Amino acid sequence: MASTSHVTIRKRLAVVLIIVILIMGALSCRLGYLQLYQSHWLSENAIDQRIRNIPVEARRGNIYDRKGQKLAVSISIESVYAIPAEIRDVETTAANLAAILDLDKNKLLDKLKKRQAFTWIARKVTTEQAEGVRKVDLAGIGLTEEGERYYPQDNVAAHVLGFTGLDSQGLDGVELTFDQYLRGNKGSIVIEYDAKGREIPYAVHRYLAPEVGNDVYLTLDIVIQQIVERELDKVMQETKAKGASIIAMDPYTGEILALANRPDYNPNHFAEYEPKNWRNAAISNAFEPGSTFKILTTTAALGEKIVSLNERFFDSGAIEVQGRTIHCWKHGGHGSETFKEVVENSCNTGFVTVGLRLGAENFYKYLHAFGLGETTGIDLPGEAKGIMIKESKVTPINLATMAMGQSIAVTPIQLIDAVCAVINGGEHIKPQIVREIKNKDGAMVKSFAKEGLGQVISNEVSVEVKEVLESVVANGTGKNAAIEGYRIGGKTGTAQKVGAGGYMPGKYIASFIGFAPADKPQIVFLVAIDEPEGIYYGGQIAAPVFKNVMQDVLPYIKN
Amino acid sequence: MASRPGSPDYIIFYSVLALLGLGIVMVYSASAVSANVNFNDSYYFLKRQIIWAVLGLLAMIFTMNIDYHLWRKLAKPIILITIVLLILVLIPGMGKVVNGARRWLGSGSLYIQPSEVAKLSMVLFTAYYLANYQNKIQSFVKGVVPLLGMLAVIFGLILKEPDLGTALSIAGTVFVLLFIAGARVWHLGSLTAVGVVGIILAILAEPYRLKRLIAFNDPWADPLDTGYHIIQSLYAIGSGGIFGVGLGRSREKFLYLPEPHTDFIFSILGEELGLIGTTTILVLFFLFAWRGFKISMSASDVYGSVLASGITTMILVQALMNIAVVTASMPVTGIPLPFLSFGGSALIFTMAGVGILLNISKNVNS
Repeated sequence: MASTSHVTIRKRLAVVLIIVILIMGALSCRLGYLQLYQSHWLSENAIDQRIRNIPVEARRGNIYDRKGQKLAVSISIESVYAIPAEIRDVETTAANLAAILDLDKNKLLDKLKKRQAFTWIARKVTTEQAEGVRKVDLAGIGLTEEGERYYPQDNVAAHVLGFTGLDSQGLDGVELTFDQYLRGNKGSIVIEYDAKGREIPYAVHRYLAPEVGNDVYLTLDIVIQQIVERELDKVMQETKAKGASIIAMDPYTGEILALANRPDYNPNHFAEYEPKNWRNAAISNAFEPGSTFKILTTTAALGEKIVSLNERFFDSGAIEVQGRTIHCWKHGGHGSETFKEVVENSCNTGFVTVGLRLGAENFYKYLHAFGLGETTGIDLPGEAKGIMIKESKVTPINLATMAMGQSIAVTPIQLIDAVCAVINGGEHIKPQIVREIKNKDGAMVKSFAKEGLGQVISNEVSVEVKEVLESVVANGTGKNAAIEGYRIGGKTGTAQKVGAGGYMPGKYIASFIGFAPADKPQIVFLVAIDEPEGIYYGGQIAAPVFKNVMQDVLPYIKN
Repeated sequence: MASRPGSPDYIIFYSVLALLGLGIVMVYSASAVSANVNFNDSYYFLKRQIIWAVLGLLAMIFTMNIDYHLWRKLAKPIILITIVLLILVLIPGMGKVVNGARRWLGSGSLYIQPSEVAKLSMVLFTAYYLANYQNKIQSFVKGVVPLLGMLAVIFGLILKEPDLGTALSIAGTVFVLLFIAGARVWHLGSLTAVGVVGIILAILAEPYRLKRLIAFNDPWADPLDTGYHIIQSLYAIGSGGIFGVGLGRSREKFLYLPEPHTDFIFSILGEELGLIGTTTILVLFFLFAWRGFKISMSASDVYGSVLASGITTMILVQALMNIAVVTASMPVTGIPLPFLSFGGSALIFTMAGVGILLNISKNVNS
């Protein structure tokens, strides 16, 4: 019966073949689903489990002074990292590293046992430590170069430069405000790893090269800055003051040529200083300016033509405003004097009279035009805007005291910026700290032109005020600032500090604002000395500082 | 019943050669990394696979030129030898344990897997039995049960190693052969029901099997442990897309997918050669199935017919199970992909089986 069973066999074979075809069809559909429909999702996931991203730090751009002197540079320093998956013997590795790097072994063990692609062991180690790590040559432990900020001039211009953190991020000063230009763009090495954490040899997917940060050229002139720093150290020693600041500006461009404060710090070791040392007092501290402010009162009065230089005033030594008596700083008063002499003598009663005559509306018009009550917008962090009584709430007594530089608090930068407008022909300009930003090839990325903020006074008034200020130095309270052979203009200031309970006895800020040459100023300085011991008059301690600085700076800028 | 010698089935011959060739290429590609890591020689598995392929071809040529009726006479001694080998491999000290399973017999560099021998010898025995007792096939007790008894012995011994995949593929083949040879459908249906109950019990008895079943259902539930293999396999196949990432460019073989040159070679092939490659493999196996069953249909006698379908089924069952496992279409059961997976004795016995099939094809009815 072979043939019957053969027939059965053939029929059933056909059934089996159909079943096989059905199964194969199903498997084809399954493969199509996996390799077409789900392909993207599956391959993304597969890549995710293999890819590790190791950041490559970009070298931070340098900071230069206006002439190209290096003020902040980045040097390479080594850091130790671990790729835990590659470590063969965690115990020995941890023990070795703990010994070389002086770390806690148990903490290190925890770190190395974590399931992660990449972890830092120690950042910015010493050369000896790096050499030690290189010598033991542990699997899964590597060294990579990181940028370390170095300030070759140490403390010089610290408050302008600021400092950077461990990840080379700007934390203060220009390092902070221009961080986005300086930091560059991080690169990365994307590496594919096999299941044991070893690099897949030919499969480095991408190397994204880091972009070197741009270089920042400051408006500072390192020579002037160094002179300023030197004089600050000297005056701090002589007066035992709590602090001191000097700002130098080009009155026509608004460029800051020097800016320094005491106390200061070395940005290379910023963490070793108290945070109060980091404070850039020249822009962050508002103070009652006292007589230096009279420059602005004079300007407003002359600008409004409510007074002329030859108009005669009589100072009896005191004046009454709203039932309050305001004394002149000179006992017995200055007697009969012209307005020019009022300024030369810094006569309080004369200024009270002028201030009251000016009136709130006119006075405030000028204060606003000079930018007071607002930050100057200088590209440095932490700028204060000072304190100004609201125009609507100002009383005659306020006005009278404001005219002589009290009842108003300004920052040194606001004050010198306003004075720039007074002496440059009348244009209010924004203070600049950065001149240009260039990329690593030297191509210009951004340049900072003079930023005019409006005309405050006419050139004639400006010339008039400059003449008065020149005679303040020649004949008046600013005599100590005079330099033989140069035309110097300036104004002294001595202000009692205001505390919680009013004026603080024995605590003064002595200041001087001066410029040269008096007819066409190239440079203007503000000197402020905070709480000097002993003599506290601006004319006696701040003016000589100005003189010492100017004496060295004038021959320098003439060249 | 005149039979006259003719030429062998070339479609089968070339399909097998193509699969074998692809296998050698893929074994090299898939194993290069792990061979380098484990043996410090990227060519470690390639060299061996070439040797096994040559030996396999020789085995094929040898059996192709032996009248297949010889196997009918040798079926009983062969199955007895197989049983002895299967017992020997279970004796501690005799069988070599790899990855927790005692499957290997031999010494030095020569090892065979008795379960691989069992695949072929069980087919030979079943063909012999069904041809000799075809008149009793309709009877459950007299026809079906004795064969199931032999299957139970073989199945039990292999399960003891343990090697569930091989045991299942043998059981499946015997089952298909019973169907082809004319066993009553309701007998087989009842057996299926019993089998399903048995499988459920087996799964409940071994917690790891239940885990695998759950993992198959949702491999991402436990991606680092039970779901790991299947996820890596899917990553590989999915990454391939239509055209693949390119020969030699598999990423999964970088130790993500364990043993990429054996049970999961199809995944690496899917990754490197894409849907084009996987479809090619399916087509080659389809050609093999079609021609194999065609030989069976036109074989000159019942023995040849059952033997031909037995060999064809044996290879197909493994192929389909393997592809189903690596595509997460069925739970993970360790089973190699015939012709492609690295594996010495398996390849030799599979090729010997193909040789027998080709010999049957030379003697078909005109």
